[in-house]
Amino acid sequence: MSTTTTEEEEAVTRETQETLLEVNDLKTYYEDGGFLSSNPVKAVDGVSFDIKRGETLGLVGESGCGKSTLGRTLMRLEEATAGEVKLNGTDITTLSGADLKQFRRDVQMVFQDPDSSLNERMTVGEIVREPLDVHEWKTPKERRQRVRDLLETVGLQEQHYYRYPHQFSGGQRQRIGIARALALEPDFIILDEPVSALDVSVQAKILNLLEDLQEEFGLTYLFIAHDLAVVRHICDRVAVMYLGNIMEIGPSDEMFEAPANPYTHALLSSIPEPDPTTARDRITLRGTPPSPRDPPAGCPFSTRCPVKIRPDEYRSLDDDVWQRIEVFREVLRERSRVEPSISDRVRELLGRETHESGMDEILEELFGNLDVPNTVMEHINEAAEYAENDDEEAGRTYLREEFGSVCDRERPSQLGVGDQGRLSLCHRHEDEYDEPATVFESLVH
Amino acid sequence: MSTKTETELPLRQRIAENPQPALVWAAVGAVLIGVELGAVLQVFGALAGVIVNLLPGDPGAATVASLQESLKSIPTLVSRDVIPNQGYWDGSQYVGTFLGLSPAAAWAVRFVLVYAYAFAVLAWLWDGYNRFRRHYRRVDWTPRDDVIDRFRGHSWGEFGLIITIMFVVMAVFAPAVGPTTMEKNILQPYDYEISYFDEETESVETALVGEANIGSGSQGAGDENVGPMSYDDFGRFHPFGTATNGKDLFTQVVFGARISLTIATLSIGIAGLIGLALAMITAYYKGLADMVVVLASDSIQSLPLIMVLILMLVIFQNTWVRELYDGAVLIILIFSLVYWPFIWRAIRGPAFQVSEQDWIDAAKSFGQTPGQVMRKHMAPYVFSYMLIYASLSLGGIIISVAGLSYLNLGITAPTPEWGRLIADGQQYVASPSWHISFIPGVLITLVVTGLNAFGDGIRDAIDPQADTGENETAAAGGGGA
Repeated sequence: MSTTTTEEEEAVTRETQETLLEVNDLKTYYEDGGFLSSNPVKAVDGVSFDIKRGETLGLVGESGCGKSTLGRTLMRLEEATAGEVKLNGTDITTLSGADLKQFRRDVQMVFQDPDSSLNERMTVGEIVREPLDVHEWKTPKERRQRVRDLLETVGLQEQHYYRYPHQFSGGQRQRIGIARALALEPDFIILDEPVSALDVSVQAKILNLLEDLQEEFGLTYLFIAHDLAVVRHICDRVAVMYLGNIMEIGPSDEMFEAPANPYTHALLSSIPEPDPTTARDRITLRGTPPSPRDPPAGCPFSTRCPVKIRPDEYRSLDDDVWQRIEVFREVLRERSRVEPSISDRVRELLGRETHESGMDEILEELFGNLDVPNTVMEHINEAAEYAENDDEEAGRTYLREEFGSVCDRERPSQLGVGDQGRLSLCHRHEDEYDEPATVFESLVH
Repeated sequence: MSTKTETELPLRQRIAENPQPALVWAAVGAVLIGVELGAVLQVFGALAGVIVNLLPGDPGAATVASLQESLKSIPTLVSRDVIPNQGYWDGSQYVGTFLGLSPAAAWAVRFVLVYAYAFAVLAWLWDGYNRFRRHYRRVDWTPRDDVIDRFRGHSWGEFGLIITIMFVVMAVFAPAVGPTTMEKNILQPYDYEISYFDEETESVETALVGEANIGSGSQGAGDENVGPMSYDDFGRFHPFGTATNGKDLFTQVVFGARISLTIATLSIGIAGLIGLALAMITAYYKGLADMVVVLASDSIQSLPLIMVLILMLVIFQNTWVRELYDGAVLIILIFSLVYWPFIWRAIRGPAFQVSEQDWIDAAKSFGQTPGQVMRKHMAPYVFSYMLIYASLSLGGIIISVAGLSYLNLGITAPTPEWGRLIADGQQYVASPSWHISFIPGVLITLVVTGLNAFGDGIRDAIDPQADTGENETAAAGGGGA
């Protein structure tokens, strides 16, 4: 009971804390430089969240989900395509000149790879001093003194001033990077997987250092990581990203205890359990994330979601058949992404069969050993017909219209879960549907 | 706390605390520079003359001229005045040579002394670096130390370095190394007189240098040939023999080294600067900037190099640019314009590679300016690659210049140039006067090989993993002539 009250207290204090960073519908698209086609990579596709002063927000997700791009956009290393990022109330995506320079003082970054983030031709002293030089902080003598103090602060020694990064271990180099980030006394530090390149024993030391520094200097962290255990250890709140979207965001303890979003469910079930005797229900996602150039129209997770909402008429369909249908839709999606090769085009012009065909085998493999209702099989054959004629797009549309649900059509909004301001991007949180947790339960048993 | 005060000290104070190594080094340096002080000051005098010339109205021209005169009178160790080799035999002994030695011996003494002096200066500089490293440097180790250590173990590179040094010393000390001077022997031979011992009359006679030259040309026949390491009829010693017109070949070779070296280093220097600057800009901004430079460099690279050179030289044949430094300035400009794409191409890859490093993002993230990012965080990594490519290209340029002169397009006569010497002596290769073509030819081969070896050495020292085996391309690039 006592824990609940402290958690409630925490929630209350969070309410009263001032917001340091506010992100509204941020989008970062990468144009690929093509002159004609404009089909950008949607690395960050409409993300909103905020960070309170003194808080640590964890940002987790698979590699390629856009979490590093989000960090870089907040850092103004990438230009935002749309949306706004407010730091202390000012939108930083449009800053320039002196304002931008001031922003560069307030926000710093610690990079993932300690080998690549330090210029090997400069001494440690020069590296840590460079931000001070850029912003002409006090006198050169005071700068040197500050660098020495910083080196001690992060657990190095003063005489390391005249050494080169080569002479240090990975953990020590990461300390140098942290000292550099601290030099200008920032409010906000983006930690881009700061420990994932380090040995496990060193990871703990660096994490403890980061926590101590946060306490000492009142820092606010955005902690980007893919190691969930690390995130749980250090973060107050966690945001889970998938395909450029935040799927779920909320207090880390609560989220780790009872994940709301289906994706978070799957992600957390992948954490290895140290105790081999505990029975675990591991959810393995099928397939791979779709291309960020061509994200699904509805829910970003709809192509892989194990608890996707079905249309009413198929609600009673056998689970295996339903899964095969989903796989078939993914096959068509993948095929539509593949550009036909030159030899394929030649074959096509000559009227020969391209090797892309072979729909029969695919259908045989997917549905051959299952008892598929005739109505369903007709629809599938119809779609396969389109694909056979090299019109995967039409096949996809057909399947979407027939088997698609709200998950395929509408982008869900972030709905409140729990009582601590947790948000989750899933249609199932609406009243008319079963909660994801309930459905998972029934899936497993 | 004691460590803090120690490392805080500026260099001057660090020397004051342990002055002995620095003092010894400075004393040796004072002696070395002192003996050549006159020559050093003369260089400044000449520079002052150039500056005065450029100023409108030539203010203080007379002062500068008298200053130059007085500077010339300061004796220097390795000068012709201290160790003269131009004397004559009066029947019983040599008159006017150093210690009464034969002209050959006196010249040899001076030649050896020049090289000894040059190597002593280099040894002094090397010792200075080592003393600094051992006693005064704040860091115990820098990445550059490893580069130097690796180069020291690279005998092929060291061979190249030595050849390069010998070539550079030859060019720098050209007036002191030659048995005679440019002015007396080559430019104004009819303004100067020499004394010589006439065997028939058994007395000392005088003759104009020009007349003597006519009598001592190497034209292939046995009696019309002055070969290497021999005296002509006028008692003059010729280490490399004489050219077809009787002028001293060695003097022409050393002054030819001067002009070749000037053209090669300046062209590569300018081309390298352009290439480096563009590499920084294209790697930093990428995209459009890169595409523009790719187009420009591809256009230039698609032109056949030697054709462009010939065309440009013919086009500018009768303009004032062609007159500057006997045509060398024009050649330098053309070479820098056609060579930068090669250098840019060679360092574009490394520049793009370094621009992807996280420390560039780190520098951007705390607001470092693009110029500083390029200078501090990118250029040092690319510069070494440029150095390798430049040292490999130097040989190509030397060959090209010689090739142009061989075609009578390069450096205008009478300024000596190796290529023209080869062209002059070509018809005598199979005769007793083989030396006219052969010696400059061998020297070009040696220098180009040496520069390539030096470049290989730098590459292996900087980047031990770099693959070898493409060192031929650079020399071949300019070697179409």
